[in-house]
Amino acid sequence: MSTPEVLKAALYAAEGTAAVPDHPSLKGGRCQCGYVFFPLQTYGCEVCGRTGDALQPVALSGRGTLIASARVHIHANRAPAAKPGAKPPEVKPHEAPFTIGSIKLEDGPTVRTLLVDIDDRTLAPGQKMVAKLVSVGTGDKAIVDLRFTAAT
Amino acid sequence: MAKILKDLRPVYVVGVGWHRYQPLSDTPYVMLGLPAIRQALADAAIAWPDVESSYIGTGLLGMAAGRAMLKHLGATGRPLVHIENASASGSAAFRHACIEVAAGIADVSLAVGVDKPGIVQRAFTKTGIGNLADDAIVPFTHFALLTNEYADKHGVKPQDVALVAVKNHRNGALNPNAHRQQARSLEEILGGKPVSGTLTALQCCPVGEGAAAVIVASEDAIKRLGIDPGRAIRVTASAASSEGAGAHATADAAITKDTIADALKQASVAPTNVDVLELHDAFTVEELHYVEAMGVCKPGQAIHLLKEGAFDIGGQMAVSPSGGLIAMGHPIGPTGVGQIGEITLQLRGDAGPRQHKGAKVGLAHMVGLGAVCYVHVLERP
Repeated sequence: MSTPEVLKAALYAAEGTAAVPDHPSLKGGRCQCGYVFFPLQTYGCEVCGRTGDALQPVALSGRGTLIASARVHIHANRAPAAKPGAKPPEVKPHEAPFTIGSIKLEDGPTVRTLLVDIDDRTLAPGQKMVAKLVSVGTGDKAIVDLRFTAAT
Repeated sequence: MAKILKDLRPVYVVGVGWHRYQPLSDTPYVMLGLPAIRQALADAAIAWPDVESSYIGTGLLGMAAGRAMLKHLGATGRPLVHIENASASGSAAFRHACIEVAAGIADVSLAVGVDKPGIVQRAFTKTGIGNLADDAIVPFTHFALLTNEYADKHGVKPQDVALVAVKNHRNGALNPNAHRQQARSLEEILGGKPVSGTLTALQCCPVGEGAAAVIVASEDAIKRLGIDPGRAIRVTASAASSEGAGAHATADAAITKDTIADALKQASVAPTNVDVLELHDAFTVEELHYVEAMGVCKPGQAIHLLKEGAFDIGGQMAVSPSGGLIAMGHPIGPTGVGQIGEITLQLRGDAGPRQHKGAKVGLAHMVGLGAVCYVHVLERP
């Protein structure tokens, strides 16, 4: 089987960091002023305004701590209804219920995304979390997207 | 050295009006805005040609809504401008109307908020910078996450947070301009449709349609137009800010803290001397965040005061006597203007069954997506 396609290649990579090699890494940035941010952008630093080479890519480890979570019960998919005969979307839409987590990465930034393979009844702030890639493709093509789950 | 509002000439709220906040209907926005403006003109006992400029707070109507509405008052040829600042659009419109009058550019200005629900693409989704799952994280989930964090940090139960909605629905039931005019028990609120995290439907504000209008005037105009000075409420502070660097989840509370402190300093008022507070309580947890950020009590203590009735009408400080965003509603453009209207009624002693007795000082607070924050202090002269 071929390597699956990463849905948002600008944001994360299957390869981990030296510190956390077993979990996907996130593509952040570091400014010359010391500010570490996610995702990488080169428009200008939010803290000092520096731009260009002052902003360098940095791989953020896929490990962090849960600040908060919420089980989402209602979700309206904004995508327009498919016309008859149209190709189905390549990626599964979000379907409620799902759980969103706010995770402070050990490398600094806080990210919010979907959580998987967790028990909502026992999940609590302070829980150590790790990134993982999950399959989201609907067709023959293997596509993976980033999620977080509780560290074991 | 830059000046604050109080350094300029005094500015007063002299007229207030509404079109009821309500679910989306077939009523065109023009016929939401005009009744609110006409009510504000009648309240001030002035005529439309006396108004020298108009600030129109609107977030969802689309481009150039103003003249198509205002011309039906008799097109005076006077300047108008639209102000979009997300949830704080109306608050921003009010601020700039006040600044124009205080600066002496106009003697009488109108701030009007009008909106109808509509799909507007949020510009922050068009920055070209990606995100992990923002399409799955709408405002109610943002605040569900903050509720979880607050509850965990302060050992507060979800049923305690829901008490905010009990109070605000009780207040809204007394307000003929409120979107929700029905008192609700804690059981009804907790037993409602689950939305996100521990938030249920009645802990989230309804976003419908409506309008609110406020007329501000200088002392010169009050004398010249024969406006009753006994019904004029002075605007003693206007503060505004936007989120600083280092995005964090509780940015709304952080900017609230700084902006309320700025406004209270401008007005030389202590937090505990505020009698009537209208807050951006789009979701229950926000009221707790913001009264704590204001310095009314220590972090984590707001629930205790709420349970003691300190924030009730007739309590230590009436918090959202209008019903707040949760019951009065949050039609976007009108919301911040309507807060000023409610405080004006309260400080005049004209709030009827919602009257907080002896109210002298009021504070209006809004946050908007971005995040931005606006705070105004009003005082009975």
